[in-house]
Amino acid sequence: MSPRSESKFIAIVDDDDSVRDTLQGLLKSVGFSSRVFESAEQFLGSGGHRETACLITDIRMPGMSGLELQARLNAEHCRIPTIFITAHGDEEMRFQALRAGAVEFLPKPFDDEILVESVRAALDR
Amino acid sequence: MDDADKLKGTAGQVRWVALRYGLALASVAAALGLARAFAYFHLPQSFGTFALSAIAITFWYAGTGPGSLAALLSSVERDFLFDPQTSIESRLLFDLVFLVFALLMTRVVRGRKELEQRVAERTAELTRSNDDLKREIAEHYQAEYLTGQVFECSPDTILIIGRDYRYKRVNPVHQRNWGRSAESIVGMHVAELVGIEFFEHKVRPFLDRCFAGESVRFEEWFDNAMGHKFLAVSYSPLWSGSGQVEAALAISRDLTELVLASEALRHAQADLAHASRMTTMGELTASLAHEVNQPIAAAVTGASTCVRWLTRDNPDIAEAREAALGVVRNGKRAADIINRIRSLSKKGDLHRQPVDINEVILEIIALLRNEAQRYSISINTDLAEELPKVMADSLQVQQVLMNLIMNSIDAMKEIDPPRVISIRSQSAEDRQLTISVSDTGIGLPPQQADKIFDAFFTTKSHGIGLGLRISRTIIESHGGRLWATPNSPSGANFYFTLPVTLASTE
Repeated sequence: MSPRSESKFIAIVDDDDSVRDTLQGLLKSVGFSSRVFESAEQFLGSGGHRETACLITDIRMPGMSGLELQARLNAEHCRIPTIFITAHGDEEMRFQALRAGAVEFLPKPFDDEILVESVRAALDR
Repeated sequence: MDDADKLKGTAGQVRWVALRYGLALASVAAALGLARAFAYFHLPQSFGTFALSAIAITFWYAGTGPGSLAALLSSVERDFLFDPQTSIESRLLFDLVFLVFALLMTRVVRGRKELEQRVAERTAELTRSNDDLKREIAEHYQAEYLTGQVFECSPDTILIIGRDYRYKRVNPVHQRNWGRSAESIVGMHVAELVGIEFFEHKVRPFLDRCFAGESVRFEEWFDNAMGHKFLAVSYSPLWSGSGQVEAALAISRDLTELVLASEALRHAQADLAHASRMTTMGELTASLAHEVNQPIAAAVTGASTCVRWLTRDNPDIAEAREAALGVVRNGKRAADIINRIRSLSKKGDLHRQPVDINEVILEIIALLRNEAQRYSISINTDLAEELPKVMADSLQVQQVLMNLIMNSIDAMKEIDPPRVISIRSQSAEDRQLTISVSDTGIGLPPQQADKIFDAFFTTKSHGIGLGLRISRTIIESHGGRLWATPNSPSGANFYFTLPVTLASTE
């Protein structure tokens, strides 16, 4: 792991607590520590986005959506490698996300191997 | 009476008076004549005898006035015509005799009048009571005739059941209703006709209450060799003269067709409600799939995590166990959601039971939360605590809530945020609960607020306009009401009430 990733962390933003917790558990099993947020607003409010090495976020959430969060971060020139996971994945949304700099766009349920590899790739950037 | 009649009447009266007073003059004149004739032949008869007879006859036939005149005339006649030379004492004596006789006759005549009047009264009374008796007999005959007609022609079966549970009388309609003649039933035991088990459990308890003096009624399916009918039966005690219940008067009305028709109607309504529910569920497919997918995704991730902990160089059993428990939890959650969807999709018969309305509200929100989220709509709840239960079919109430919430979602799809649905439950007056669903959407159609509950009225491009109609039918069949008011500053409020069960207040 690069020295950069040690000072930063992985952020998980999802309104569903079971999804949040299982994601955190999966990352823990491969040795990554992460912090969970139940909404985009909470994540932004925590100020942690400056220290985030990789962002895993749901797209559809009450309040600010994952795509809006990505746009906000881009506007603040805070380009965090982002992995989207969503149950509502359609092609248009996928292109929009990838165009805006997303690392990966995974429909639920996702293959854990792909997610872990995507996180690794994001941290190595 | 006109003038001619009056004149005729007056003339008649005058004639009658003249006749009566004429009798006084004639009788006294006759007495004088007879007395003179007797004196001429030296027969020993005094004037007094004839005069008294004349007075008596006049009193009797002509009345008190002419009688008194006859007495006066007799006195004058004797004193001045018959025996003018008599002494003053003799005159006075005769005058006194005539006076006393006249007084006596006055009383006799009055007595006769009273007697005649009493006889007339008594006769009238007898005539009257005779008429009464005749009328009573006629009425009695009429009543008897009508009673017979009621018994013979009633469309309801009428039976008289003795204390020995045997039929004493049965009306002819029994043959038409049941195909067995009345004559063949009289003398039979009730159990022979309706079956022993049915008699013991259904009929006898009511009959015994009737024999104890109570009027009872019940409705029941009768299922026996003669047919399958739904009857409304009443048992009324028939009392004997000594105050004992002698028998039961049973009247039974066949309500089979009515019950079958109302059952068919209920089935049709349930079918329609089911069809409407399925339509709504169809609209919700994407959201429901997401709702199920969420825990499944979590379970899959959890299972992968578990495998990773176990296949590491140094397996961590505690972490693997933790991840596996998560799989169990999420698997159960997915199953719960599927059960909820299945119960909404099933075509169950009505099943009313005490229901916690807040539970029903939270269940339906769990299903619709994701649909709301798709359109960035938040659902707020304000549920009163410790509400009494309502007697309801929870599936139907969920359907009503689903219709209202889906309408609210539809009403807010196109408007600017904030998009909020507020669901409230609270106790209302008259032992009712009020549940409201309010939104900040486009509101009720202007001038047509009442029409939204009509069948086939819709403002949506994809709706068929049955949701609110069906919802109102459901709520009204539960004894509640469903209505809408505009929300301020925008949107609509839908309210419905449900009556509280009696049992829940114990």
